[in-house]
Amino acid sequence: MITMTHYLVFSALLFCISIAGIFINRKNILLLLMSIELMLLSVNTNFIVFSHYSSDITGQVFVFFILAVAAAESAIGLAIIVSLFRIRNSLEINLINKLKG
Amino acid sequence: MDILTILFYLVTSVIIISSMSLVIVSNTVHAALLLVLIFFNSAILWLTLKAEFLAIVLVLVYVGAVLVLFLFVIMLLDIPVKKKSSNKLYLLFSVITSFIMFAELYMIIFYHDFSNEVTTNVASNLNNTYEIGYKLFTQYIFSFEITAFILLVAIIAAIAINLTQRERSLRQDPGKQILENKDSRLKVIKGDEL
Repeated sequence: MITMTHYLVFSALLFCISIAGIFINRKNILLLLMSIELMLLSVNTNFIVFSHYSSDITGQVFVFFILAVAAAESAIGLAIIVSLFRIRNSLEINLINKLKG
Repeated sequence: MDILTILFYLVTSVIIISSMSLVIVSNTVHAALLLVLIFFNSAILWLTLKAEFLAIVLVLVYVGAVLVLFLFVIMLLDIPVKKKSSNKLYLLFSVITSFIMFAELYMIIFYHDFSNEVTTNVASNLNNTYEIGYKLFTQYIFSFEITAFILLVAIIAAIAINLTQRERSLRQDPGKQILENKDSRLKVIKGDEL
């Protein structure tokens, strides 16, 4: 019998794996963007689980909004990556220091 | 074990294993294809939670549009496949951080004990898409409009970022060529001004 705890533990595990992915992938900014997509996916799964077990459709409406915002975010992120690759000819994160932060 | 339990364990193990390999893989195309697999299995998982509309949106919009955009950018840029950074400190730090986070989340989940929650299945005669659409166009209509505006801003930003002129480009600009006249190109200099 699958209970709500199973889904929540799965979602937490997916979130923690993608947090580790952001730390590990310092050579490639594209993989970092993919890890962010994975984090958003685990958050969406959490929303849907709570929506299902409390019989309230509002959680799924919020997942719809999150999907739209994530699509916009990845479009802008990929545009930034393309223009960054054009001037730096590399995608390594530790070489991106134009802002001198 | 009923079929739903077997499906849950199959799907979640595929997602966890492929997300772990996405994190450590160095080829970006492989990572994008693993992400396709993860999203597809997540859509199956959402179907078991009776979220049919969002499951099909995840497959159509995410796998069909966003991940194809990822693959397009990867193949457009032609990134050289490099070895991972051999810095073990970051690996250790990331594993410790994510392990601490997972332990805390696990404690919170088992402290609240969600295992007795059951779905009550009210209003099951309406389908999922109808319910989401009704909620979206009555209660959340302003949020829906703001979402449309966010997508518009994303389109404009993505175009504006990549619409910069090259600096040393030899491209002709016909507008500027037409606007040139004799006075702007020729200048008569008298001998005593030299």
